[in-house]
Amino acid sequence: MKIVVAGKGGVGKTTVAGTVSRALARNGHRVLALDADANPMLGISLGVGPEDTDALVAVRQGLETGDSEHEPTIEGFVERFGTDAPDGVRLVVASRIDQFDPG
Amino acid sequence: MAGTLARVLARRGHRVLALDSDTLPGLALSLGAVVPDEPPLLAAAEKGEDGRWRLRKGIGPMRAVRRYAIEAPDGVLLLQSGKHTDTGLAPVMGAVNAFYRLLPRLKEPAGLRDWTIVGDLSAGPRQTAYDWAPYAEHILLVVEPTWQSMLTARRIARIAASPRPVKMSVVVNKATDEAGARRVQDFFGEAALAVIPADEALREAERSGAAPIDAAPDGPAVAAIEGLADALEPSSLPA
Repeated sequence: MKIVVAGKGGVGKTTVAGTVSRALARNGHRVLALDADANPMLGISLGVGPEDTDALVAVRQGLETGDSEHEPTIEGFVERFGTDAPDGVRLVVASRIDQFDPG
Repeated sequence: MAGTLARVLARRGHRVLALDSDTLPGLALSLGAVVPDEPPLLAAAEKGEDGRWRLRKGIGPMRAVRRYAIEAPDGVLLLQSGKHTDTGLAPVMGAVNAFYRLLPRLKEPAGLRDWTIVGDLSAGPRQTAYDWAPYAEHILLVVEPTWQSMLTARRIARIAASPRPVKMSVVVNKATDEAGARRVQDFFGEAALAVIPADEALREAERSGAAPIDAAPDGPAVAAIEGLADALEPSSLPA
């Protein structure tokens, strides 16, 4: 199954997404948790840890700063940029806004 | 918090312009303002020959405030970006663009120099990174005692510090106990400018659609925002 959690800021989307991911993983599902928020915090709800979540490399930033070719497959993205979270959940952060960029 | 602060300052005699940068509703409700369905700033924008939005000729910041700001209680004027519609932002992109193009020019007119501007950005670091608050002299980082909130505020502070010098202060919001407020202050290594407690009356006000300052004027949260205005007054308000 493919699920997206949406709603206004501060309503608890990330908490729901992280906890549902962990619950599904515990029930035997292979779970990919995709953090598509430009202010990514899903790692905290998954149990990765606050500072470790803050330090995760996002796909976009990883590609922009890396010197290798763009990853050609989705599986490659998940392997290369993913992080293991508890219960076997694999977390991928899409992008992060962390610098001034008025353009 | 922005809406209540704007009302408090207006009641103290300041001319207040509230800027609602968020494309989702919020500030109008907390101000108690009644806003039209169509964003007034739509009339300030036109598309150029290159297909890009621009301000209509003759529309500068002073004229935009006079023509397109909405009157809110206590004399606050509210200038809004376009808001999401049922079909997204496309129908209001003119208003969004007009708003964004006015922001860097708000310091220009002599007629606005003695105004107090209270800007409300959307949640997260995006609008700070995109320079949606170039007028700001003082950024209030509103932080709940949670990791998500603290890390977000730290990210915003780092981004905001890069383009130009700006004063920043931490405001703890929805504090349920002293430990929560202390946690935030320990994380940032500085005392908070204000600690606004969790206040059930504010939640009730939100549910009823009333402005907090009208629905719960004697509650602890509004009192704390009055204290925040006290703390701001020596540094940010006109003589």
